[in-house]
Amino acid sequence: MQDQILIEMKGVQKWYGGYQALRNVDLIVRKGEKIVLCGPSGSGKSTLIRCINRLEPIQQGSIVVNDHRLDDSIKAIDVVRQDVGMVFQSFNLFPHMTVLQNCMLAPIRARRIGKSEAETIARKYLERVRIGDQAEKYPAQLSGGQQQRVAIARALCMQPKVMLFDEPTSALDPEMVKEVLDTMIGLANDGMTMICVTHEMGFARQVADRVIFMAEGQIIEEGAPDAFFRNPQQARTRQFLGEILAHH
Amino acid sequence: MTPHFGLPEFGFLLRGLQWTMLLTLVAFVGGCTAGLAVALLRTCGHRGVEWITRIYIGLFQGTPLLLQLFVVYYGLALTGLKLDAFVAVAIGFTVNASAFLGEIWRGAIQAVPRGQTEAAMALGLHYSSRMRDIVLPQAIRISLPATIGYLVQLIKGTSLAAIVGFIELARAGQIVSNQTFQPLLVFGVVGAMYFILCWPLSWWGSRMEARLALASQR
Repeated sequence: MQDQILIEMKGVQKWYGGYQALRNVDLIVRKGEKIVLCGPSGSGKSTLIRCINRLEPIQQGSIVVNDHRLDDSIKAIDVVRQDVGMVFQSFNLFPHMTVLQNCMLAPIRARRIGKSEAETIARKYLERVRIGDQAEKYPAQLSGGQQQRVAIARALCMQPKVMLFDEPTSALDPEMVKEVLDTMIGLANDGMTMICVTHEMGFARQVADRVIFMAEGQIIEEGAPDAFFRNPQQARTRQFLGEILAHH
Repeated sequence: MTPHFGLPEFGFLLRGLQWTMLLTLVAFVGGCTAGLAVALLRTCGHRGVEWITRIYIGLFQGTPLLLQLFVVYYGLALTGLKLDAFVAVAIGFTVNASAFLGEIWRGAIQAVPRGQTEAAMALGLHYSSRMRDIVLPQAIRISLPATIGYLVQLIKGTSLAAIVGFIELARAGQIVSNQTFQPLLVFGVVGAMYFILCWPLSWWGSRMEARLALASQR
């Protein structure tokens, strides 16, 4: 069965001044797919997902999200951002708003739904990330793991078709990594389409349909996690896996 | 006979104090409104607009306030626009304040972490909501000590308005002093009035600063 294509990147090139961050990247993501992006720092994996919701502009190539071609028009960027949720390494919760207000703002402002409906949605997703009882607190009163789960709930409140995760556990103390990964696994089991930039290879093994390895702005290798970890084809991939698995 | 410093003289100083406060209020409210526009234009991301705003700020920060007051009062009179002294200095101080407050708030807007704007964009929030709901509430908090500090400067700075014949507190003091030949007493009272106006603000500002420093440590 050919599932619906949600994201299609073709020949994407991106420069920061003279430095090329993405080289001719092609990527197709189908509905329900879970993809883990890994690679050394500076390999362009974060840049790649930040191009999908146009936090970064691209200079060449094309990106289509849910049949909407992403160009420079505000309208196109708008439409795409409504379909794409994102979770950041540093949470980026709004510190002057309560957890509940963090979750209600975007549905009210961007989807223009009523306050009470927004609150119902917010409480539902806060419940789902098991943080419903903290709704009235401010982000600074929560632990890192709790904050990241709020950030996930906040993104879900916009009811996106795809979720992008940009190293969601890298800023967390070790004992809090699991609660965030469990939340993400729950999301994956519910059928959410996900692209995760992460070094959590256990998560990749358990959840990913495909693991993609990037280096120097290029996709070097991709495959199902079993094959990818057991029998990587490229020397660059083997070297990387050797390095990160050695200290895990 | 030379009058002594008594109740009528004190009343005259109080009226001067009123004008000082009114001028400060008008200049501060006007300066805040225009300064917000300056700060937003200065950070709007459009190169040409940012450049023009930069020149505007540089012009008013880089020339003496006295000169700016002369231009508004005497300069505009030459073009046939004869302004009341209060209106003229109010315009001068407002425009000047807009440049200084604009620059203070520009810094505060840029001090809000980039991740805040990125998270708002990723959630599909437009520029107006990003500014109103996310960036400005945090920027105002960051800028509060500097803004209060500027307000204190403004209160004292309004004494320059005397130069075009506007009778505010400092000028009122000068007049009373000339009448009574009691400069130490008169200017002592004038100084105390400025102090009572400014010191609580300064105190509030530094308390705010301490609280912010504490919050950023968390």
